Amino acid sequence: MISISKLLCDLDAAGDGLRYDAADESRKAQIREQKQRRPVVVWNCTKQCNLYCQHCYAAAETEPAPGELTTTEGKRFLDDLADYGAPVVLFSGGEPLARNDLVELVGHASDAGLRPVLSTNGTLLTEERAAALREAGLQYVGVSVDGLPERNDAFRGEKGAFDRALAGIEASQSAGLKTGLRYTITEANADDLESVVDLLADRGVDRFCFYHLDYGGRGAEIQDADLTPEERRAAVRRVCDMTREYHDRGHEIETLLVGNYADAAYLVEYARRELGPEQAERVLAYLETNGGDPTGERVADVDYQGNVHLTQFWQGYALGNVRDRPFGSIWEDESNALLSALREREDHLRGRCADCQYQSVCRGASRLRALATGDDPFGPDPQCYLTPDERGVGGPDRSADPAD
Amino acid sequence: MPEASSERTAKREFETCVDDPRGDRTREWELFVRDAPGEPLRHAGSVSAPTAEIAREQATRLFGWTAEALWLCPADETRRFAADGVALSDRANPTDQSGVEGNGGAE
Repeated sequence: MISISKLLCDLDAAGDGLRYDAADESRKAQIREQKQRRPVVVWNCTKQCNLYCQHCYAAAETEPAPGELTTTEGKRFLDDLADYGAPVVLFSGGEPLARNDLVELVGHASDAGLRPVLSTNGTLLTEERAAALREAGLQYVGVSVDGLPERNDAFRGEKGAFDRALAGIEASQSAGLKTGLRYTITEANADDLESVVDLLADRGVDRFCFYHLDYGGRGAEIQDADLTPEERRAAVRRVCDMTREYHDRGHEIETLLVGNYADAAYLVEYARRELGPEQAERVLAYLETNGGDPTGERVADVDYQGNVHLTQFWQGYALGNVRDRPFGSIWEDESNALLSALREREDHLRGRCADCQYQSVCRGASRLRALATGDDPFGPDPQCYLTPDERGVGGPDRSADPAD
Repeated sequence: MPEASSERTAKREFETCVDDPRGDRTREWELFVRDAPGEPLRHAGSVSAPTAEIAREQATRLFGWTAEALWLCPADETRRFAADGVALSDRANPTDQSGVEGNGGAE
């Protein structure tokens, strides 16, 4: 997770120029001397959802799935995470509000010393539940909206989903919960991006997370709706420009990019063009401190049955199950060659990622997308939109205008 | 599974479900890997795949670069237990032997 607003607008004033991953939901300063040592853990606490979104990485269903961790198992798992030192647990789904024990679990996480945050479609979030969640210790609510009403509702499979998500956002804000937007950019909704920000900023939302599509779950089935490299580059530039325009007007919205660490390199290049070489070097230094794609290291995922995944998007492979072994034992078990190699991926990356000058801030971006499109977990990420010049390999520009 | 009362609650909350077809529940396959001849097979997690052939493809893509041999076993045909009879999930936290309960009725 890369904070555009901090890196391009607030770096001089704030001192916490970077937030990243789901840890960002915590509002804690994320710049540190060393990399985060324990992962932020996404817990897909249920597979059940009341919507049927085209891009759902968890392939959620409207009926409960068998084998869901019970309340007691969930609490034991949360204690396990706290003992291991995980900083944040992100309750996700399916739709986590489909679990009737969510408030109890959030309260247990908070009491155990974890920072509980929530990812929701917002449509089931009433004022009463939002208040109960805040009372239980919830720290942040991220609500998914993927376009203006017509496009969002088509994407989410239900007419009225946009209005109900807005009602959920208002309920969350009324309860005093920090509330932000989650927006997955695809070819279908890229044009709505600024309009959605304008609409929600007017309603008091000031935090906007833009996700690149990852190729897990149903997201793998809509790869043809993904942006081209040129379109992706243009969309990221628009988010950067929009953020600076808002800040120039005195409205300090927070904007973040998630899911494609080629963005880190692009931000350095953007800063060099728009803000000068000194600022670019500062942006680069901050990004290097935190070290690129977090898969298998700074982010982990546990699904509704207790299976431990390398990232929330990579549901098709599990390292182990928390019903068999504590989370920390699974996460620390580097006898698993894939896990071990992901943590030393500089030695394994192939293709355009192998000699890229921005490898230290990108680390090859999504290994899942590389696997989905090239059958090689260490091949190039198809979403990379950097030019050869930007990658430091010279040669003719085949992907985009470097002056773009 | 949720208790009956919470099932009723859930149905009320999900009155507006859409009618699109739902995804199937994909089978899970336990994966074992041998890195080199003479070395033991190690459990290396599990893959989700609807058939053994697709599970083989998935496992090969993930570990073919390092493994000498791969074994796949349907997870639903695999029995996992500790030799002393204590449930593995209880061994994970030996201070809590309270068993399990439904996830409904918590609010």
